[in-house]
Amino acid sequence: MSYDDNSLEIERFQWVGKKVGFYGSIFIIALVSVFPILWMFITSLKQPGNVVTFPVEYIPRDPTLANYRAAIEGAPFFRYLLNSIIVATGTAAIDVLLGALAGYSLSRLRFRFKLPVLLLILGTAMLPFIARLIPLYSLARSWGLLNSYLGLIIPYAAFQLPFAVWIFQAYFKELPDSLEEAGLMDGLSRIGVLFRIILPVSAPAMATAAIIVFIYAWNEFLFALTFMTQDSMRTITVGIALYQGEFQYPWGTISAAVFMSVMPLILFMLFFQRKVVEGLTATGKA
Amino acid sequence: MADTVDSSSGTPAAEGGGRQNRLQRYRNLRFSEEELAVILLTPVVSFLLAVSFYPIFDTVVGSLHTGYVLDMNPRQFVGLENYRRLYGSGPLLDQLLNGDGFWNALRISLIYTVVSVPIELVLGLGLALLLNRNFKGKYFAQAAILFPWAIPTVINARIWAWMFNGQYGVINDLLIRVGIFAEPFPFLARPETALASMLFITIWKTSSFMALILLAGLQSIPDHLYEAARMDGASRIKQFRDITLPLLKPTLLVALIFRTLPAFQAFGLPYGLTGGGPASATTTLVLFDHQLTFNRLSFGEGAATATIITAIAAAIAMLYVGTLYEPEVR
Repeated sequence: MSYDDNSLEIERFQWVGKKVGFYGSIFIIALVSVFPILWMFITSLKQPGNVVTFPVEYIPRDPTLANYRAAIEGAPFFRYLLNSIIVATGTAAIDVLLGALAGYSLSRLRFRFKLPVLLLILGTAMLPFIARLIPLYSLARSWGLLNSYLGLIIPYAAFQLPFAVWIFQAYFKELPDSLEEAGLMDGLSRIGVLFRIILPVSAPAMATAAIIVFIYAWNEFLFALTFMTQDSMRTITVGIALYQGEFQYPWGTISAAVFMSVMPLILFMLFFQRKVVEGLTATGKA
Repeated sequence: MADTVDSSSGTPAAEGGGRQNRLQRYRNLRFSEEELAVILLTPVVSFLLAVSFYPIFDTVVGSLHTGYVLDMNPRQFVGLENYRRLYGSGPLLDQLLNGDGFWNALRISLIYTVVSVPIELVLGLGLALLLNRNFKGKYFAQAAILFPWAIPTVINARIWAWMFNGQYGVINDLLIRVGIFAEPFPFLARPETALASMLFITIWKTSSFMALILLAGLQSIPDHLYEAARMDGASRIKQFRDITLPLLKPTLLVALIFRTLPAFQAFGLPYGLTGGGPASATTTLVLFDHQLTFNRLSFGEGAATATIITAIAAAIAMLYVGTLYEPEVR
């Protein structure tokens, strides 16, 4: 009897141990993932004099927003933000339109040379950015597109188009054939079927593609750094990366600037988490 | 990837005669499938040819010239001179192991790629296996591991530069509190530890990305396979080896291509963390190319480096596709 009790006890103990181990490791992983942002936030709230102390202060004494004021006054922060929103939105719009058209053709139409066309489109995703930088820079310069939104939107749209095409063609492949049949029977032309029937039901793929492209354009650094030489045209990623502050140890203001620049994207990601994961994994599932 | 092409289907001919006639009539009346495909794909393909392929071609041509881009210095054909300058002088093996400039950058990029990608793959797979079950708070756990991926690489580099700071950095503080170090260590000021720190940061940032891609692959493996294996008395390890790994192969291919190519082209991290120093210890190939082009204005050598990067990237992609890709039988 007592033997049975004991083994039950041990089983119970093991079960609790497993749970604690599992949630413990999840907690540690989550903490390690979030820590740098948390640390930026903590640093940004410190009094300027308390930022550079050692041992480090983990809970700010007399928290202050002075660093945020200094960061906003030290750089055209909202202008950077606006630039990023315009560039990222423009890129996403072009890629959703072109990606939907190409994805539709590649998944639902029969035509010759389909495989070479698909490989050509997907192959561009593998071309190194640095090998496209200087030729595109000199093109942009001769067309007067440096320091203009279009100058970044055009290359970004081309770079991310393969991913948009892939997301759309994976989505369209799953739609039933009867959709087009019904449209053709009702007297729509093939273009009519595309615009009246297929595109309206592809909103989920549009959202996924738009979000993935938007995040890419928001984060891109190499081209944004090179093409936008005027401070007022910089995207937020470049603006914050080059932000120096005016004091000898400007880590307090840099932390505030970094935290402000990262927060919109993090909120965006949390809000659209399901879509982001879908977009990332569209290729993994195929 | 390519298997999707064959499985595509146009509108199948409908059965009933009248229905078929009407269908046929509309097909004849308007664009055929092929015409529509040409109309829809022409803008996309020409856009990509102009913005993605033409620049590569231009770079290769530019690598055979000097005075590239700069107007005041007219373009002049020099053959392989730019490549010869990148090569320097000395036996190949010696240059590969000890050469500076281009060779140093090539070594750093290779070390960076070969060390970081496998570790990310293993950690990512571990994370994915951990997340591939239902538990309370899964949404928040997944959101938390998305954080590293959400932060722009170059901003992330600045965050970690502050955390790794040799005097006031929180990492030094933690290591001292735990008792590993006695006094602050200047991680980013010593060549070996600067490269190690950079590797640590990129592994931290991209393991979660790996995990998300692999998680999708895990979730597409049907449960009944595992049930059958359990009935046959297969151990967890055997299930992992005989079911999980083989079925995860296509996903692993995608994850490897998606990580190896960007890792080989790392730029934002060294730019924001160390600027390539100390003493070029963290100068990756793309950062080296960037410095050649924008600091030293050696456009020809910059284009030659970019051409070599393109060739290596193409080789990596073909290697993966060649060894891991198996056409699906349908």
